[in-house]
Amino acid sequence: MIRGTVIGQVWATRKARGLEGQTLLLVAARDAEGQPTGRLVVASDTLDARAGEDVTVAFGSGARNVLRPGPDNRDLLCDAAIAAIVEGAG
Amino acid sequence: MFLGRVAGTVWSTVKWPQAQGLKLLLVRPYRVGDLPPGVAAAAPGAAPAAGAAASEPTDDLVVCADTLDAGPGDDVIVAFGHAARVAVSEKLAPGSKPSVPIDAAVVAVVDRVEIPR
Repeated sequence: MIRGTVIGQVWATRKARGLEGQTLLLVAARDAEGQPTGRLVVASDTLDARAGEDVTVAFGSGARNVLRPGPDNRDLLCDAAIAAIVEGAG
Repeated sequence: MFLGRVAGTVWSTVKWPQAQGLKLLLVRPYRVGDLPPGVAAAAPGAAPAAGAAASEPTDDLVVCADTLDAGPGDDVIVAFGHAARVAVSEKLAPGSKPSVPIDAAVVAVVDRVEIPR
């Protein structure tokens, strides 16, 4: 997973069928010291995260488990999802 | 997934049979510093705009399968790994789904990026 800050939302009409209904947020990644790395990630959001909030983003099967926990989620089109809204880090 | 701009196309005739018929695009990912100057200033850790054109992405290119007919200049969302194979699988011949040698695919053509100030 990575930690980052939500900076906005991405809208698309022309998209793969599996992406329909997903909210896609733009997240600016931070490194271990909390410093921004410059990398931008697009992540599915189910937690209603807002711009300016710090979040963790899970990738791969971890991301699918955010959208639908369990073994029967390999049909989902998702490789990055917001897994938590961060309140503090030390 | 990442946000990027289509920079070009890749042709190939010698390739895995499972990948026949798949169009390949070159996509350049956006970084924080590539966003418009006002946005970059508001975003955490943005590089100073330094008067340069801030709308051109600067990172390394990624080769992606494309089933949405995106073209050069389009802003797109690219998914990696299993999600990329899910995205292309519905356009492939039956039986090729599990073994298609693809790990990146265009999953959306971006209309708009909304960044509150």
